[in-house]
Amino acid sequence: MLFKLSFKIFLRELRSGYLTSILVSLVLAITIVSGISLFTDRLEKALSAETEEFLGGNLKFESNQNTAKREIQRQDFQDIDFMEMVLFASVIFSEEEMQLSSVKAVDNAYPLIGELELQNKSGKFLSKESPELGTVWMDARLQNLLNLSYGDKIFLGDSEFIFAATILYEPDRASGNFAFAPKTIMNFEDVDSTNIIQPGSRVEYNYLFKGPEDEIANVRNYLETIKEDGDDIEVLSEDSSSLGKTIDRSENFFLLGGLIAVLLSACTIGIASQRFTRRHVSYVAMLKTLGMKTTQIRTMYFLLFLFMTFLTLLFGLMLGWTLQSQFINLISSYFPTQLPPPGYYPILITCLTVLICQFGFIYPHITKLITISPMRVLKDDVSFDYGFIPVFLMGLAAFFLLLYLYTNQLTLSLIIFFGVIGFSAIGIGSIYLLLGKNKTGLGASGPILLALSELRRRKFGNSFQIFAFTIAIGLTLITFSASQNLLGSWQTSIPEDSPNNFAINITPEDKENMQFFLQENEIESKPFYPVTNATIFKKDRQNEEDKIDRNFNITWIEELPEQNDILKGEWFDENLNNGISISDDISERYQLEIGDEVFIKIGEEIIKSYVQSTRTVNWDNFSPNFFIIGHPSLFKSISSTYITSFYIPSDKQYLAAELMREFRTVSVFSIEELIDQIKEIIEQVSQALNSILLLTSLSALFLAFSALQDGFSVRKHQSAVLRTLGASNTLIKQSTLFEFTLLGLISGTLGALVAYAGVYFIESRVFETTASFYPEISIMGPLLGIIVVSSLCYYLISGIAKQSPKKLLMQ
Amino acid sequence: MILEVNTLRKEVSSGDSKLVILDDVSFNLLEGQSLAITGPSGSGKSTLLGLLAGLDTATSGEIYLNGEALHELDEEQRALLRKRKVGFVFQSFELLPSLTALENVMLPSELKDEDEPEEKAKYFLDRVGLKEREHHYPNQLSGGEQQRVAIARAFACSAKILFADEPTGNLDPKNGEMVSDLLFEVNSETDNALVVVTHDHDLADRCDKKINLKLGKIVE
Repeated sequence: MLFKLSFKIFLRELRSGYLTSILVSLVLAITIVSGISLFTDRLEKALSAETEEFLGGNLKFESNQNTAKREIQRQDFQDIDFMEMVLFASVIFSEEEMQLSSVKAVDNAYPLIGELELQNKSGKFLSKESPELGTVWMDARLQNLLNLSYGDKIFLGDSEFIFAATILYEPDRASGNFAFAPKTIMNFEDVDSTNIIQPGSRVEYNYLFKGPEDEIANVRNYLETIKEDGDDIEVLSEDSSSLGKTIDRSENFFLLGGLIAVLLSACTIGIASQRFTRRHVSYVAMLKTLGMKTTQIRTMYFLLFLFMTFLTLLFGLMLGWTLQSQFINLISSYFPTQLPPPGYYPILITCLTVLICQFGFIYPHITKLITISPMRVLKDDVSFDYGFIPVFLMGLAAFFLLLYLYTNQLTLSLIIFFGVIGFSAIGIGSIYLLLGKNKTGLGASGPILLALSELRRRKFGNSFQIFAFTIAIGLTLITFSASQNLLGSWQTSIPEDSPNNFAINITPEDKENMQFFLQENEIESKPFYPVTNATIFKKDRQNEEDKIDRNFNITWIEELPEQNDILKGEWFDENLNNGISISDDISERYQLEIGDEVFIKIGEEIIKSYVQSTRTVNWDNFSPNFFIIGHPSLFKSISSTYITSFYIPSDKQYLAAELMREFRTVSVFSIEELIDQIKEIIEQVSQALNSILLLTSLSALFLAFSALQDGFSVRKHQSAVLRTLGASNTLIKQSTLFEFTLLGLISGTLGALVAYAGVYFIESRVFETTASFYPEISIMGPLLGIIVVSSLCYYLISGIAKQSPKKLLMQ
Repeated sequence: MILEVNTLRKEVSSGDSKLVILDDVSFNLLEGQSLAITGPSGSGKSTLLGLLAGLDTATSGEIYLNGEALHELDEEQRALLRKRKVGFVFQSFELLPSLTALENVMLPSELKDEDEPEEKAKYFLDRVGLKEREHHYPNQLSGGEQQRVAIARAFACSAKILFADEPTGNLDPKNGEMVSDLLFEVNSETDNALVVVTHDHDLADRCDKKINLKLGKIVE
């Protein structure tokens, strides 16, 4: 019986349109949450697979010695696949040409993850095997430079090989320090016959591992024990590539947009539920009079909201799935394989969001509704104690839970939570005081007097309404600003003429000739930086504990490189030229402070120095960047090669090949494809972000509309009484419009302040960039407030004005 | 003549068909006279009152209020006419809950931009015996008291004609009698015309004229 009755009420409410606000808000929230979480989940999975493939395994051990293999093989690692490769640089000869190449010799377990895309006479094909003995694969650049056809002979060291295929795609692209030159892949068992690897040769041995997470952890622990100087362990972690960072930033933004939209929807749901409750007061009183028990009424409303949950989840998830499909379509071409299906987490977070919204913003109202006295049936004026505080506290609890659910950080949730509460208390209190004291009378003699009197008279309600508008406008501005300014600065961070080629291994002899070559062909280059490999010791070079556990490419120059800013200490000058400048992340990671003594070990030479300054470095500027920079006077005796980057316009691309022919020991590699890929993905992600902006703004608009609509039921009655007493429509319209324009102006101004605080927080904490000041927010806030609030108010008041006062009084 | 009504007709649409609420209603009323409109529920009493007061428009027919052709006026002009010449008392009082008794009574004077509306309102509140309750809000007053505030507000309009829709309908007999006494007492002091829609025969009997409506037509 209860089920039927509840379903009947639900259908009646649906038809009447009174549930529209709650339903639309819930569907909006579910669409946004599920859409975003489904999308980010699939994106994360795809990125993880990409990173795994990029690394070539779940864990990589890089060593300069080949002794590690024996040690590893002695261990009995369960469920672990293992492979070995050796990397070195060598000159390869064809019948006509010669070229420096980065050679990767792989064993028969190669590739451990993913597959290669190759091309031979028969066309393109996929391979999960290593090259056959006596054959090599080369990338297209090397094939062109050596002028090779399939089946041609090439010479490497003392051996000759057959060029069998062109490498179009290789999974383990992050292959060590020799990845700068055009690539050759050969079989590991052929290495001995070349006689290239001799004692003292510069060779890197890579060991790749694949297996379950806990087993990989065991392998890692073991490798830590056998690791020697210069060895490195790489694990599958967050992708630090530009593409990874780009997607990571957009994920942050997506989640932020989702949280904002959910909070806005939650506020709308709260307001709409209050209205729902007021309408149902007489209904509940009547049911009680007819003998229905409180528990039965509670169950009836519980069922009603259960129907609502199912309906909204159904529509919301369907729309959410469509939304994420659109997003995925935008970026799918950047992933080599089809994106993996989502896990259960997006559905869990969506259901939790709905549950929190239901219990935090709807259920408290229903609980209050159930307490209504049956006397209400007999006496219409039996008061309905709304018990504002418990309802408010439940809302706050739900707000905190939502924050925690989305940020997953207790401290951050607490900061935002108390920040918002503090701001609300100050904001509402200030608005309350700002509106001033009531004067006797309604001031109905003119529109401005009436408007001001109304603002003061509904001080408490207006304070809340202004607060709701402030939040809605503030959040919309934050979303807008984030999409325009943050993404804008991000997009413009890759200017059209960004260097698209890097040149390394430039010998001191080639340096001047190459500079001349570039000048002659009107190619603008970045400075030529000397570069060498060094180990750094903190304080005591004898103490192994003081050794910084990695090698650095360091440079020495007098001028501070562009897009580097000194954070602490001072850059070099005539008097200060014995120190080094380190990047801020190195300073933080290795606890290096200004004035700390360091020893720089280059080959066998050791240079004593100290930390003279720390710098912020823009790593995304496609210029050579360095963790450690010294003053040239310290490195006079050090021999080095040079590195530079330059931009070759598309119509001069032939110059790259010419440059490589002219300077054969110099390695030139193009990053144009990477730049294009990042530019394109930013553009596509921006489109997805704009959709989130649109949905968030829609939630904000809906909240504003609900807040206004709620206040207008009272206004409807007042307007009817005033018009009966002879007030003209013009007076009512003008005064209401003036009142809401003022309300919009106050809300917009406060919204702009909220947006400034929010944007500062997002820039500094979420995007981890330097916070900027955006003057347009201070104009857009009040304008948006006036336009949105007064337009909505005009729409509502026009509806009232069209009806005769008699009809309004009868409603 | 304060009120002249000729062949008044009011139809409303109900789906595809038209429902006649009032048909061929004609009567007139002189200054200072009182008129009771009676009839069973659904006979069109309140609709007629709404048309006479310019709150609604007739389908056809003429209404002259204090010589002005109400049927030819638009909504804004009718509002102006109401402000200058009409006062109201409703069955459900229709006080503004956010205003005190005094402020509710001040409203008509404020709308007319009269001098010292507060003094005038205080006078009428005193006249209906609610001087001590002037700063109370409607929800702090009983039903009878609220209706007395509504009467004070109606007389504060300085109207030529007062329309009262079931003024005692929501009150117990004692309070109902008190309110109807007050209505006639104050009305006699101001020489207004009074039009009352009522089911209350005693109240109707106190009026100078009576109209009985049945199915939208005057039957006596």
